[in-house]
Amino acid sequence: MRPFLLLQHGPPVPAGDAAGAAASNPVFWAILLGYFGMVLAFGAWFARFNRTTQDFFFGGRRFSWWLITISIVATGVGSHSFNKYSGMGFRHGFSSTMAYMNDWFFMPLFLFGWLPIVYFMGIQSIPEYFERRFNRLTRILATLSILVYMLGYIGIGFLTMARTLAPVLAPHGWSQAGLIWLLAGVAGVYITFGGQTAVIFTDLLQGLLLLFAGLLLVVLGLDWLGGLDVFWNALPAEFKLPLADFREPSEFNFVGIFWQDAIAGSIGFLFLNQGLIMRFLACRSVQEGRKAAAFNVLVALPLAAVAVSGAGWIGRAISVTRPDLLPPDTPADDVFTRVASIVSSPAGFGFFVAAVTAALMSTVDTLVNAVAAVAINDVYRPILRGRTDRHYLRAAMLLSALATLTGVAAAFFFARFENLYVAHGVFHATATPPLVTVVFLGIFWRRFTTPAAVAVFLAGPFLMLLGNAFPETLIGPLSHGIALPEDPEGTPYKYIRALYNLLACFGVGIGLSLVTRPRPETEVQGLTLRTLEAARRLFKGGEPNDAAGERLRRRFAVDPALPPSSVRAAAADQERLAARPGDLVYVCDARWWLGGLRSTHAWLRDQGEEPPAGVLHLSPDLLQSGRFLPERELTVEKEL
Amino acid sequence: MDFERVWLPWIYLYGAGGVLFAAGLVLVLRTGACDPRRPRDRRWIRILVGGYLGYALLHLALILAALASAAGEAGP
Repeated sequence: MRPFLLLQHGPPVPAGDAAGAAASNPVFWAILLGYFGMVLAFGAWFARFNRTTQDFFFGGRRFSWWLITISIVATGVGSHSFNKYSGMGFRHGFSSTMAYMNDWFFMPLFLFGWLPIVYFMGIQSIPEYFERRFNRLTRILATLSILVYMLGYIGIGFLTMARTLAPVLAPHGWSQAGLIWLLAGVAGVYITFGGQTAVIFTDLLQGLLLLFAGLLLVVLGLDWLGGLDVFWNALPAEFKLPLADFREPSEFNFVGIFWQDAIAGSIGFLFLNQGLIMRFLACRSVQEGRKAAAFNVLVALPLAAVAVSGAGWIGRAISVTRPDLLPPDTPADDVFTRVASIVSSPAGFGFFVAAVTAALMSTVDTLVNAVAAVAINDVYRPILRGRTDRHYLRAAMLLSALATLTGVAAAFFFARFENLYVAHGVFHATATPPLVTVVFLGIFWRRFTTPAAVAVFLAGPFLMLLGNAFPETLIGPLSHGIALPEDPEGTPYKYIRALYNLLACFGVGIGLSLVTRPRPETEVQGLTLRTLEAARRLFKGGEPNDAAGERLRRRFAVDPALPPSSVRAAAADQERLAARPGDLVYVCDARWWLGGLRSTHAWLRDQGEEPPAGVLHLSPDLLQSGRFLPERELTVEKEL
Repeated sequence: MDFERVWLPWIYLYGAGGVLFAAGLVLVLRTGACDPRRPRDRRWIRILVGGYLGYALLHLALILAALASAAGEAGP
């Protein structure tokens, strides 16, 4: 018996009719409306957990690695990923996975450099780092670049999704504008009220959904074809190579993608993605953040690569065995939809539409939350200083709603002027290399100076535009022999230009740093790799304790004699924790599957009465900050 | 399928990528950001190197599988 009865394929359905057939099926609507209902319910539920701006933007810094890593997958897989990578897989084979499987090279610098710096220094936004490491001008330049990019990207997300859903819902009277408002309404409500905690938990759900849907499509496809053997033998050998040809064709070659994606893209994703940084800051510790990042790149991304590309590979095998159903010249953008309609039933098609919707929602929610964080930390708070945290929390919620509305406005703009869509891409390509250069040199090169950082922002884009104007002269020598596109309208050196852009920006930064004076090391304590130990001391407010201890499971009682944010353990327990009074500990509801939802950080103290064996004493405020339930046991472990 | 199609991308990916990876690892070790005297950090060094080798071997295995498939297509 075949699994997933609902998704079994029936007679082949022409792709053009699949969308209409799906929308006529009540199961399709049940799946889609159920999905929207669940997402909204998550937002409503998690709104109760937002008491401070720390809760709203960073979920209170309490979550476990596994929760964060799946939510990162959901963020990374965008609304266009299924269409884009299925199309790439259909045309170029297994090498469509390259972009998902080349992020490991910068992991030492991320895990032991950038991640501990932002976590221990309490950096809430990328632009904030720029001011603390350099000056206010670099912060302003970074804020402008990041806000324009993210707001535009939200608009593109809404528009892409509306266009994906239009063939399905248009026959039922939904216009593109109506779809944009529907999607913005759902996303805006749960982000505005739920904040980062809602984003993390909905992204957990959405990440699992989109991974499951993508992998399920592969399984159904193999079943449709008649098994793995038929699939494997139908594909040409070159199609099975995991890496593209070194320099051909000009629009998809290995060396261009290496510099554009493995190098520039990886640094941008790991070091400059505000949404991703906020997700890591929501981890309960740097150690958990490292686990989330490593698991994401080693396990989740390869799975995601198969999930988003698989329909293309299956489609290629179908085009070999049944070209009457899927001709080899099928447009790349149609491959995902057509394969989904061939290998599943019309009702099952609804499930895949929900997965693509999940991919959009999970990218947009992260961006909206990130825009609000940058707007509050880098624009609003510096202008209106000294207000209460409650005031900033309300402003953050309002700004989330505003970011969603601005994204809607951007979507309508992009819909009317296609060249704005292209302009956004050009802006991103021009703004990213200076940001990448400044943050990278700022962290890893103590000698990098503030004038050099400003010069990178100003001269870098100029040199890149020069490369754009004279590609053969300036980019050609770095092209590794890649030919110019045959189509005169094509972009010359589409990917390999990333190498030129990086060299131009790094050249300006390094050159000017050598002739200008760096800030004294005392002024950048904790902000560079070399001064990381200072960041750990600043975070703890004392000397870190790295001795390995145990995690203990204990009942708890409240001791009003303890100062705020404090716990006291029995002397024997302190020994097993390898902790001393003054150390930072993590206290968590013992149910691991909550992922840290009910947990908090506290200081170990020796004030008050020593608790009896098997009991942990908490200060009264921890009950609320940890959201602990009286009848539940807790685990306690030393952090630092 | 010639050298540039099959092997050069793999050599370039793990050669140039490997240089960047090794440089990053050396930098975090030399600055003390990653301290092998801490058991936790020692474990992370093993994971980092293992991840690099794991990816290289995975891509190698896929290339060899594709080459075996090409040999099968060519016939005896």
